[in-house]
Amino acid sequence: MKFTISAFAENKPGVLYRVTDLFLRRKINIESLTASETEKVGISKFTIVVDADANIVEKIVKQLYRIIEVIKVSENLDRDIVFREIALIKVHAKDLNSRQEIDHLTQLFKAKIIHVTKESLIVEIAGDEEEIIGLFNLLKPFGIKEFVRSGRISVLK
Amino acid sequence: MIRNNYPPQGGFFSFWRYLKKMFHVTSFYLLIFTHMITGSHAVIKSLIEEGIKVIFGYPGGQIIPIYDALYDYKEEINHVLVRHEQGAVHAAEGYARATGRVGVCFATSGPGATNLVTGIADAMIDSVPVLCITGQVGSNLLGSDAFQEVDMIGITTPITKWNYQITDAAEIPQIIAKAIYIARTGRPGPVVIDIARNAQISNLDFSYKKCSFIESYQPNYSPNLRQIKSAAELINKAKRPLVLSGHGVIISQAQNELLTLIEKASLPTAFTLLGLSTFPSRHPLNMGMLGMHGNYGPNILTNKADVILAIGMRFDDRVTGRLANYAKQARIIHIDIDPAELNKNVRADIPLVADAKIALKALIPLIEKKSRSNWLTEFNKYQKIEKERVIHKEIHPKGNYITMAEVINLLSEKTSGKAVIVADVGQHQMITARYYQSEKTNNFITSGGLGTMGYALPAAIGAQIGTPKNQVIAIIGDGSFQMNIQELATIIQEKIPLKIIILKNNYLGMVRQWQELFYKKRYSFTDLYSPDFVALAKSYTLKAKKIIKRSQLNSCLSDFLKSKRPYLLEINVKNKHNVFPMIPLGASVDEIRLE
Repeated sequence: MKFTISAFAENKPGVLYRVTDLFLRRKINIESLTASETEKVGISKFTIVVDADANIVEKIVKQLYRIIEVIKVSENLDRDIVFREIALIKVHAKDLNSRQEIDHLTQLFKAKIIHVTKESLIVEIAGDEEEIIGLFNLLKPFGIKEFVRSGRISVLK
Repeated sequence: MIRNNYPPQGGFFSFWRYLKKMFHVTSFYLLIFTHMITGSHAVIKSLIEEGIKVIFGYPGGQIIPIYDALYDYKEEINHVLVRHEQGAVHAAEGYARATGRVGVCFATSGPGATNLVTGIADAMIDSVPVLCITGQVGSNLLGSDAFQEVDMIGITTPITKWNYQITDAAEIPQIIAKAIYIARTGRPGPVVIDIARNAQISNLDFSYKKCSFIESYQPNYSPNLRQIKSAAELINKAKRPLVLSGHGVIISQAQNELLTLIEKASLPTAFTLLGLSTFPSRHPLNMGMLGMHGNYGPNILTNKADVILAIGMRFDDRVTGRLANYAKQARIIHIDIDPAELNKNVRADIPLVADAKIALKALIPLIEKKSRSNWLTEFNKYQKIEKERVIHKEIHPKGNYITMAEVINLLSEKTSGKAVIVADVGQHQMITARYYQSEKTNNFITSGGLGTMGYALPAAIGAQIGTPKNQVIAIIGDGSFQMNIQELATIIQEKIPLKIIILKNNYLGMVRQWQELFYKKRYSFTDLYSPDFVALAKSYTLKAKKIIKRSQLNSCLSDFLKSKRPYLLEINVKNKHNVFPMIPLGASVDEIRLE
């Protein structure tokens, strides 16, 4: 099952290592990981997406609390949270036709064209994994030059 | 006459002296008011502030400044020079286990630091409060593959409760205070402080304040009282209750509370390896040891109990055997200070995050007085079977060869179960755990979770230094002994009156036993050449004696125990001998074998 684990911790060196090591020990692959500042000064939030058994996730969450700097941890299913990722897609667009079509698709997905050159466009999209992959698949025929995606950020509903 | 007039009084001389004095006084006050000292002095002063009396260590390039500062504090703090850094960290562990205080060790950067790793992992899994201070290259060289640079923080992160690298001298007092607080509170554990050379040699304005609170780390000592009430109800209703007591009870010094509770409700109690010396072996409710080589009764009856009260133990796989068949019929109450231990291996019906002592205190008034004699007789029945089929044969063997069990049994009698026993790892460890009848709280020290061969000699050094009035006896196999044999020199140099018994069978006995039982007697690399340990001891000027015949055993053991000096006994015991009972790997607790 897919879980989003949110861990709040003091922003000190080495905490990220301790957090990821717990997944490493149990050989659980991390699908995405985001570390960012929060509204409180000196406190960071780690958002970790994993696909693992519920009881293993429960154990890891308790072990996360063992880390001295960790303050609060929660594990959530997708239905309990609002979450977003952001992606940048650099796509081939030499002729007017493709440019218009890409612009149209971009608007459909509420994405933005953020950079334009003679040969390519850079599209920015924020959304869940499905939306991002949806736009990516539709842009594929034009020729994707580069595709990058951030990790997930989430807020409890 | 001239002498009496010197130094001349009054006039010019007096003025000159006044000036000189004022100069000293002002520079002195400058020092006092600003408290400027080097980082290295701050390290030692911080440790003194924390009441640290002993450091086990080994100097080297990047920790020379700290050792230089240590030279000024010889009166306040004792440094024990070991012969290998692994010896330092195990000695710190032994010291901590015997005294309940934080054990401290020093090592230099690079190889010195990495030599600590095994001991740090050992302290982590056995919850031992140890502070390791390592030297590190200067911060301008960090990450540059400098001489003797190793990423000690990276290496020790998975095996420490906390670690920190100091690159600024000003951080030293507060980080040491925090490290000591973390090491000794909650579930104790090892901490590492890696100090870059520039922080050791630069100055700071020193002031010390002990740490008593960390916002992100607040161990929960007090139990949830609703849970305590449900636990008490469960125990009161139980027909066949069983208490499993672990290291946590010793760490929180809850032995009296445990005794009060179990005597009130007649609760049979069994112990994990590290819980063994919680209260006297001969107490009628002490049912012995749990687990792979534990006693027959408590293992079998684990699967017959209706309520299990587990305190300060973590249901290690050596205790539970096959988890799928472990105590499925029982309702389980699990008390532990570390929330991550609850529901980790065995699901608890009533999980209780709390300090063992506080939880037991809360539980006692709610527990009803009961006698439960039928249930207790069941334990006696299995005890009798084990005595007839295993114990008697072991302590009164028929053959010519001495068995390990008869040595330990005799030692137990001769010391009235009151010596501090430090056992290494292997067959001799299990035999010592089984046959040394401890009568004193916390007098059995061994490496439990990690099973570190080479543990006992240095750990016994630490235990003896920590509790100089105790008779400390290290029981070591010939394999384990050769893993940290170098510490014999430490004993002589420090004049430590340690007693060492080598149980020599010229095999890696425990592995050999598994090969015999589970690997078709394919004895792959387990026969072991061992030197003449008596001759070796002599070269260290260590008193030593070899025992090869049973007739020597009694008198030699008496002389050994009477000696005020360090003493090594090499006892040649029966080889190719197995430890029973045994729960084979992957079997359940009630499938324990007697032969």
